[in-house]
Amino acid sequence: MSGFLAIIARDVTLAFRAGGGALQALSFFALTIILFALAIGPDLSLMSEIAAPVLWAAALLATLISLEQIYRPDREDGSLDMLVETSDILALTAFAKAAAHWITTGLLLTAATPVLALLLNIKGAALGPLLATLLIGTPGLSLIGAFAAALTAALPRAGLLIAIIVIPLYAPILIFGVGAAGAGAAGEPQYGANLALLGASSLFAAVFSPLASAAALRFNLD
Amino acid sequence: MTAKKRQRLIFFGGVFLAAAAAVALTLFALRGSITYFYTPSELAALNEKPTSAIRLGGLVADGSVDYAGNATGDVVAFTVTDGGADIRVTYAGLLPDLFREGQGVVVQGRLKDGGVIADNVLAKHDENYMPREVAEALKEQGVWQEDAGQ
Amino acid sequence: MPQNSLYDFANPLRFESIARRVFPFVAGAAVILTAMGVYFALFNSPADYQQGESVRIMYVHVPAAWMALFCYSSMAIASAAGFIWKHPLADVAAKETAPIGAAFTLLALFTGSLWGKPMWGAWWAWDARLTSVLVLFFMYLGYMALWRAIADKARAARLAAILAIVGFVNVPVIKFSVDWWNSLHQPASILRPDGPTIHAAMLTPLFLMIAAYMAIYVALLVASMLNELISRRIARTELAGGAQPATMVEQ
Repeated sequence: MSGFLAIIARDVTLAFRAGGGALQALSFFALTIILFALAIGPDLSLMSEIAAPVLWAAALLATLISLEQIYRPDREDGSLDMLVETSDILALTAFAKAAAHWITTGLLLTAATPVLALLLNIKGAALGPLLATLLIGTPGLSLIGAFAAALTAALPRAGLLIAIIVIPLYAPILIFGVGAAGAGAAGEPQYGANLALLGASSLFAAVFSPLASAAALRFNLD
Repeated sequence: MTAKKRQRLIFFGGVFLAAAAAVALTLFALRGSITYFYTPSELAALNEKPTSAIRLGGLVADGSVDYAGNATGDVVAFTVTDGGADIRVTYAGLLPDLFREGQGVVVQGRLKDGGVIADNVLAKHDENYMPREVAEALKEQGVWQEDAGQ
Repeated sequence: MPQNSLYDFANPLRFESIARRVFPFVAGAAVILTAMGVYFALFNSPADYQQGESVRIMYVHVPAAWMALFCYSSMAIASAAGFIWKHPLADVAAKETAPIGAAFTLLALFTGSLWGKPMWGAWWAWDARLTSVLVLFFMYLGYMALWRAIADKARAARLAAILAIVGFVNVPVIKFSVDWWNSLHQPASILRPDGPTIHAAMLTPLFLMIAAYMAIYVALLVASMLNELISRRIARTELAGGAQPATMVEQ
């Protein structure tokens, strides 16, 4: 267990250092939302109606651009070989890498959402469900993304390939996340069902992603 | 060695629990309603009516289609029913070929004064395919089931 | 390395000689079945009691949608076989199935759109069935992109196999999407517990077209697998710096 926590601590520290991915992802998230707010213009009711979808799409894109950072730096400085060879359960190591990525992107973005929500004119009642969906859904984004990053760990410029692989797999999380956020804001009965499916998607990702990532990492190293 | 074994046990136990929880959540969600559209009964049961755009699905009630919405006749009004509740829909635009009384429709629009102002009307097709003569023969023999469309 | 490549070649060579003999028959069957299917679909089947003549789009659309799922399932199974037994033929079969499956998926999406406009009144709707099939199309593209990105074929095969197996979760979602959610798309007409809800006169062209599509798939798969195996052999021959490996191996 201590190795598990050590990997998370190391990756989180690195992500917040100069040149780390955490603040880049957060800035990208904020800038995407600002772009939308500027593009929509003065129609405040339209803005609050599409605020949750916009925030979700922005969170997805911000996660996406930071995925390459999960394994590529480790691969370049050789620490990935060491990680793979010293891991008793490689899947657990892969899980730790995904967890560290979530802390430095998904959790950070969720924490910044209440402030950014003001820019999109989100009403008070809509904020709670939106935060709940982001908190439940973004771990799934990091887990699925970490799998794609593991698949392409040996490739020098994998950013676009990761996006092509990952976006179709993100579809259910986006659909259920936005669905739950909308239903929760309107007080509709579908809130619970959507939230459950969102949680199920993240849990499925938590099951398959570490195992598949571990297999992919092994084949990327020999 | 025992620490390693325990770690493995915890890991695979965790994997199993996560998988079981995911399946349980999915089954829970599928028992509830997660829908492409609302039925009239579901919409009637809501305490707080949605203000944003919705989809409404159901059958076009027999004898409810009224083309005399305005002088030029390009506004059509009809009732969508699911047996439990009815909702009146008004729509200005072209209706699809399959739109007819007793047939399923999905209406996209907004609630206003207890009715729906439609932006778009889609006809829902059922899974039955047969030649016209067969359909007529079935009707004559009285074995026709009027549940088409849902 | 020479030993290894000898082992790798043993099966593919046998496959090549069988495939060359089988291909003309499969291709011929594809042509004949397609001609029969098109004749029945356009001229020798009744119009629908609701949809009229537009129902004929079904004979192009439904088999394409079936093949989209069939190809992905075959790809996942071949991937699993290649992953477990490290069998090069299974890898090649999975790789060459992807573009064919993507083409069938695109055909299903296009014909569905052409059918949806007159029947539903919309080219496209974001319901569960349509969305999950669109996701399937992009999964094929992602799989193909991964193969192309990795130069080492053996490594590409392993990694692409993992992706194909993970992506298989989408197949049951597509199949049952019309039952789990109340969608715009109609439920299954043939594969359902209480038997088909399509009249017999319409089932003939439908099954003919399904058989035709299947023959087209097999013919294209055999041809493109042959192509891939030969181009790999050429690449190895060039690497070895001469023409001898191919003949050496055959002994």
